[in-house]
Amino acid sequence: MSPSEKPRLGLPDLGVGVGLRRKHHEHILTNRPAVDWFEIISENYMVPGGRPMVTLDRVLGLDYRLIQHGVSLCIGGSEPLDRDYLRRLKELVRRTRTPWVSDHLCWTRAHGVDLHDLLPLPYTEEALRHVAGRARMVQDTLEVPLLLENVSSYLTYTASTMTEWEFLSGVVEEADCGLLLDVNNIYVSGYNHGFDGATYVDAIPAHRVVQIHLAGHTNYGKYIIDTHSDPVIEPVWELYRRACARLGPVSTLIEWDEDIPSFEALLAEADKARAIRDEVERARAA
Amino acid sequence: MPGPLEALQEMLGEAFRREAPVAEDPGLAARCAEHVKGNDRLTPAEQVDLYRRQFWMRHLGSLEEDYPGLRALLGAAAFEAFCRAYLQAHPPASFTLRDLGDDIVTFAEGHAGFPEGQEALCRELVRYEHAFIDVLDGAEPPPLDPARLAVMTEEDWGTARVVLHPLLRRFRLAYPVHEIRDAARAGSALPEVTLKAVCLLLFRRDLTMRWMEVDPLALTLLDALARGVPLLPACELCAAGLSEEETAQLGERVQGWFAHWASSGLIVNVAHIAPQDAVEALGGEVVPH
Repeated sequence: MSPSEKPRLGLPDLGVGVGLRRKHHEHILTNRPAVDWFEIISENYMVPGGRPMVTLDRVLGLDYRLIQHGVSLCIGGSEPLDRDYLRRLKELVRRTRTPWVSDHLCWTRAHGVDLHDLLPLPYTEEALRHVAGRARMVQDTLEVPLLLENVSSYLTYTASTMTEWEFLSGVVEEADCGLLLDVNNIYVSGYNHGFDGATYVDAIPAHRVVQIHLAGHTNYGKYIIDTHSDPVIEPVWELYRRACARLGPVSTLIEWDEDIPSFEALLAEADKARAIRDEVERARAA
Repeated sequence: MPGPLEALQEMLGEAFRREAPVAEDPGLAARCAEHVKGNDRLTPAEQVDLYRRQFWMRHLGSLEEDYPGLRALLGAAAFEAFCRAYLQAHPPASFTLRDLGDDIVTFAEGHAGFPEGQEALCRELVRYEHAFIDVLDGAEPPPLDPARLAVMTEEDWGTARVVLHPLLRRFRLAYPVHEIRDAARAGSALPEVTLKAVCLLLFRRDLTMRWMEVDPLALTLLDALARGVPLLPACELCAAGLSEEETAQLGERVQGWFAHWASSGLIVNVAHIAPQDAVEALGGEVVPH
């Protein structure tokens, strides 16, 4: 079985992690809590020095496993890939020794302007080939596996000729890269665009899912915004349960970026995910 | 000729950066409807507006975080107007929000919308607050090795170059703008700010941002040292225009400053330089010593 055909592309299951956020730095460095792994936002550490880099090195010095997750790769952009960005990202990869790097299946800049948002792509053959080619280039440059994450979206395009899950599957297969399945994003986009999240989870190429994201969101009635500001809601836990049953154990992360709670509350959310994973695994083994 | 994907991204990129709702521009709303589906709850223009609102919220929020003193001085509405004008003139160009204010100092210099009578104060405050960004996460050089100083002879000081911390920023201010920023960050009432010349150093120590008010002469000395002028000639530059009595006291004052700067981590090295380089640092001016 080639690495591309193995579960999780042959990459390890790290258990359940949480985001490393500034609010918790002191607590983590002082109390050294037991955490399976931390995810960092790459761009927060692509700076020459100061507190971010000192904290990063101190956390690494405590032997925590760090995984890099980015927001600015702009894999779906029409401008050439930002070589300077990739160089700095690769420097960070060497520093953190992350086993993979993830970013979003989206575009973030156009016509020289960085919009700093995760903007959805039209699901077309043109976009699929374009993104897959760029993902291959990025993966070759970084020399670690790249995972692409499905984003929450608030609009869809008239030009789309396939579903989001068909597009996502097509990109990761053609690019031969991994998939970061954001279960909350499936729920959010399903609500916003009227598709069934279960269909999505059942359709993606299981062996390419290397990591899962879980988060809370804000429901405004007519639409949902992916705010990462609340606990995970029950229907998202249900989708997660379904994903675990289909995928087996996959590294899972709780994202919480607004109104960040105490570290204990964050860990309690991670414990819920762990309990579901374990329960599904026991059922599979029985 | 851009492909369909590029053209779509360019069109939407512009729509997301509009200040007014898309529906207020019927032409744009029609173009959005060609490309964006909409649904039974939101029109295509309303869907695009969700991203448009987030564009402004994110970038205004980032500038608010970086320039708290200016926001407090101007008030929320005037600060937002300033930021909107800035972002229209200088759209975000870098992948990181850290660089969002890269052109803000230049923009503020030409900005006509500051309150009458406070233009210079606002521009100085922008310049001061902007300096925090580089200092906050700049690279830290190794600290000064005391052994370097111990072996220095009096003669060495004639040609030795004092290397200042690369993250040290020096200001000659007409207003005490640091007091505005400090009050804003503390959530306190802003001090009554009037014209008052301040010589200020901004630096980072133990990962914390600090400022230090200094004597104007001390700042002149630091300016010269930053240009690469060796210590003794730099002192002689400072002595120009001083009375005989002041000149006699200068050595002692410099010693005190030097000790304070060294203990504050503002001096990171003392390096020997060739006499010719020392002359160049003086702008070709040979200072007898």
